[in-house]
Amino acid sequence: MTTANRIKPDLGFIQDLQDVGGLDLTKCYQCATCSVVCPISPMDKPFPRKEMIWAQWGLKDKLVQDVDMWLCHKCGYCSEMCPRGAKPGELMAALRNMAYQNLAGPKFLGRWMSSAKHLPKLIAIPAVIFLIVWLITGSIHDTPFPLIHGEIEFGLIFPGELTIDPIFGLAALFVLYTFYRGIRTMAQTFDQQPRTFVVGYNRPQSIWVSLWQVIKEEVVTHKKWKDCGSEETEETKFKGHLFTFYSFVALFIVTSIVAVTHWGGKVFDFLHMPYPMALWNPVKILANLGAIGLVIGLVYLTKRRLNAVQRDGSSFYDWYLLGTIWVVTLTGILSEIFRIVHVAGLAYIVYYLHLISVFMLIAYLPWSKLGHLVYRVVALAHARRLGRVSTEIQTDQKDTLYVL
Amino acid sequence: MAEKIGVYFDKSSLEPYLDLESISEKTRNKWSDSCKVVRIVDQLASEEGRSTLQQDIDAGEVDGVSICGTSPRKDQEFFNFGPNVSVDRVNLRELCIWAYKHPDGSVPGDKEQPEYLQQMVQDYVNMSVNKLQRSEVPEREGMETVKRVLVIGGGWAGINAALSTARAGYDVVLVEKQNQLGGHAAQMYKTFPLKPPYTQAQDIGLQERIDAVNSHKKITVYTGSTLESVEGQPGDFTATIQSGSDQQQESVGSIVVATGWEEQDTSYLEPMGYGKYKNVVTTWQLEQMAQKGEIVRPSDGAKPQSVAFVLGFSHVMDDFARQEEEEKARKEQERQQQQENEEEEGIEEPFQKTESYRHLPYTTELTTMTALKQARYIRESNQSAVSYMIYEHMTAAGLNEHYYKAAQDDSGIMLTKGVVSSVEQGSQDNVVLGVDENLLGEPLEIEADLLVLPTGLVPTTALDPVVQLAYRQGTAFPELELFDGFADSNYICFPYETRRTGVYSAGCVHQPMSLAKSERDAQGAALKAIQCVESVNQGVSVHPRSGDLTYPKFNFVRCTQCRRCTIECPFGALEEDADGTPKPNIARCRRCGTCMGCCPERVIYFDNYSVGQIGAMISSIDVPEEMEEGGPRILILACENDAYPALDMAAQQGKKWSPYVRIIPVRCLGSVNTIWVADAMSKGNDGCLLLGCKYGDDYQCHFMKGSELCQSRMQNIGETLDKLGIETERVRQEEAAIDDYQRIPQIIDNFVDEIFNLGPNPFKGF
Repeated sequence: MTTANRIKPDLGFIQDLQDVGGLDLTKCYQCATCSVVCPISPMDKPFPRKEMIWAQWGLKDKLVQDVDMWLCHKCGYCSEMCPRGAKPGELMAALRNMAYQNLAGPKFLGRWMSSAKHLPKLIAIPAVIFLIVWLITGSIHDTPFPLIHGEIEFGLIFPGELTIDPIFGLAALFVLYTFYRGIRTMAQTFDQQPRTFVVGYNRPQSIWVSLWQVIKEEVVTHKKWKDCGSEETEETKFKGHLFTFYSFVALFIVTSIVAVTHWGGKVFDFLHMPYPMALWNPVKILANLGAIGLVIGLVYLTKRRLNAVQRDGSSFYDWYLLGTIWVVTLTGILSEIFRIVHVAGLAYIVYYLHLISVFMLIAYLPWSKLGHLVYRVVALAHARRLGRVSTEIQTDQKDTLYVL
Repeated sequence: MAEKIGVYFDKSSLEPYLDLESISEKTRNKWSDSCKVVRIVDQLASEEGRSTLQQDIDAGEVDGVSICGTSPRKDQEFFNFGPNVSVDRVNLRELCIWAYKHPDGSVPGDKEQPEYLQQMVQDYVNMSVNKLQRSEVPEREGMETVKRVLVIGGGWAGINAALSTARAGYDVVLVEKQNQLGGHAAQMYKTFPLKPPYTQAQDIGLQERIDAVNSHKKITVYTGSTLESVEGQPGDFTATIQSGSDQQQESVGSIVVATGWEEQDTSYLEPMGYGKYKNVVTTWQLEQMAQKGEIVRPSDGAKPQSVAFVLGFSHVMDDFARQEEEEKARKEQERQQQQENEEEEGIEEPFQKTESYRHLPYTTELTTMTALKQARYIRESNQSAVSYMIYEHMTAAGLNEHYYKAAQDDSGIMLTKGVVSSVEQGSQDNVVLGVDENLLGEPLEIEADLLVLPTGLVPTTALDPVVQLAYRQGTAFPELELFDGFADSNYICFPYETRRTGVYSAGCVHQPMSLAKSERDAQGAALKAIQCVESVNQGVSVHPRSGDLTYPKFNFVRCTQCRRCTIECPFGALEEDADGTPKPNIARCRRCGTCMGCCPERVIYFDNYSVGQIGAMISSIDVPEEMEEGGPRILILACENDAYPALDMAAQQGKKWSPYVRIIPVRCLGSVNTIWVADAMSKGNDGCLLLGCKYGDDYQCHFMKGSELCQSRMQNIGETLDKLGIETERVRQEEAAIDDYQRIPQIIDNFVDEIFNLGPNPFKGF
């Protein structure tokens, strides 16, 4: 027999959850329609019904340790089918938002990233940094919009070696360290989960095998993301995310090539590549394809988000990420166009905005919704290791008994 | 008494299956003395058809009409010819033509005029003539009545009943035992919502209504007063009211009982820690605290930071259930022993208290809503406090769902279904609850500053003979244990009826109910009370034979003072003098005829319904001398409230049954006198089937006891038949409800088959 758990509701936590998107959680009356309609919820202790009552009772400890929040891909089907309008999907998202806020410090960043009222500060940080750079380089060139051989070169104002690379390099290190701490916190909560007897799963595998399986079977194929949700919403959601995801992959490759050729070129001559690249350069083609792919993906995702607003509402986290990627994409494309058509004033200003938005995307990544890139993958790998997978996968399992 | 009878055949509903000319001829020949007019009319249920009859009546040729055609349940408006003409409807279309099938089960062809059908129709026509010859047209005998209504109880229901009655223009006498009006409502802080949007608890608005009562010139209020006794009958009651040392008498016409409820004994809450731990209170105690302005812990007077409301704990009620079962069995045994010892059956039913653990589950809806309300009291007075609700059933019915939702929206109210498995003392006099089988998926422990347990409502009628009727059959409502003491009705369609005519119940004495429902209930009961005084005034029955002018008449010369009628009357209508001669109270009577059915001397009759009349109808069945040739004859006595309409509906739906049966409707099986059955059997009929309502604890009889009493009479007659050598299986009572029309033809056919197996009645031919 299990010993009874003395509970201690945390009213403040309920309020926090409501603030980050779980506004309607009190409406749940535990019919479990959500868990029944969810296409990817596991058979054993399915989400999101249990999360709903934990949230209503303010059981903070249970919720922050809940791996299931990452298993939910938020198709919103549960919210659609909920007879009380309690929007379980929104609660799951709110739990993730809480996780972005709390998994790793500094605390103030988590707090700033949770609400629109802090947005000016978030913009101000990169805006000030790059403005200082611009003031210095502008005064060196005696003009804020310098040309070289009649061509616009952004490196004149924002020199890569001295400003862009160190700034973003530091930001990236900061982000990596933050993720390290976040994953460590997650792992501790995973370890605190009670062990149970489970029937019908394979022997637990190593976390690395699980991670590889997750990347191979879920991330690359977007399989779960496709399974998730009702048929009408599936298409836009799936395509939108797929385009956005692979566009980012393309742009990541481009950035990597640029970095390697630039810094590597200093050591190995054969790596050197002229910059700016010609339009027919395969890397440049890949970059432009990435930009176009991003626009397509963003159109799909924005369409879906606007529908979702009507249906469930959306949180600041949703809009922050979508908005930032839009600005990154549009300013990126416009800086390239203005550069090519020689409109120096506009080109530099738009590029400045581009830098700000890229900074906002990368440096704040662990506290933004994009943090799921790391946290969700880790949690999925952990869940897979536990055998906590959706019913579809479970039915393939053999009848074996072991202790987790 | 009809002497000149006209028999009219409705061609439109009877052709082409009947040879109407031949039947008319036979009728004319058989009844040449009494039937002056026998006509075949194209369509009786039309203005033309009606005027044909009216002409014969106006010409003085007929004073009783036999309408042979459709069911008496059809076209009623056409066949009323004023107070001097008896009318009998002969149901030839439904019960003969539509229900007809050959003895072999086949259905007649279009042009066929089956012989068995002609015989059947002839029997029914003869019955009708016999019936009309023995029918009087009832006279309207209105009473001088007091059109004043007595309302017992000045709580929410009583106040509303009084106001409704007075606003309808009738005088009211309101009696309240406390020194001020208001009852329990006066001790409540707020009520759960009574008006849209049904999300906020609200003030009851009691004072406004009390002022309206006090200022209404048609309402006389007696506070600090009790009802000592009620004598008389509807329209003419005398209520004796005790106020301090004064005694006053008031004449009233009808009564609304709105005496409400008492708190259930707290011993039922002891397994949940009540009385054992300091900080365990009932919802009623909490409500009174709230009304006084502060909800505090009994142990230290501190404001509670966490309050647990537990709704429902049926698992700890098992012990009470077992105790009460044993107690019931013991009492039943005692009663049986007593009956064996005493020769004479007691008439007066002694009052029995019926408080039970079951009053708690009965109150579930109210305890649910009250806990939701009080959970919000806690939150409203202290935003950092938490209210837990552990419920077995969240009974928020109808619009109350909005209130439940509103409570849910408060994030400081934690709700779960669950079973409270333990109640223990925590630190600082806190209460620690173990909660299993909850929605959180694992056993929980909840520590609360205060535990609140639900208050069950026990109706006052379960504790006291509230109405104080000076009736021979007892002062209280009889057999309330069926409703665990609630003054409830077994009808869903007549919710205010009690077993005492002219006495109606409203509010929580009737059922546990909210203030909103109680107000409506009071209006309903007030209307019934008004209907009663008006009906009695016009000399007609109130319910369920509303508008019936007849009433039982007694031929006292032959009465042997056996008291059977006083014992059996389900409504306490009969008093008796010192010798035991019954003294009828017509206005208490519901005209079921149970007295007529039970009277061994057959001294009781109605103007249009009597032992002799039905006996003559039975005698007019032409029983073939040989069963093998003409088939058996089986008499069916069918209750006209349920079984008879069910037969009608069966026929309308194309169901068929044996052509050997003859159906006579009766007011209630309670009115069936055993002599009818004995007569039928001695005349050579091969069987007798009684179709009546379900009896027992969940009876459906319109007159409560009719079908049950008939059943015991038939057991008695069975012994007599046995002595005569007639198989007791030839007489059978079957239960049939109005919706049994699918089943009823099968009941008949099965009985006919059994009669065939038994063979002919040995008395045939004597």
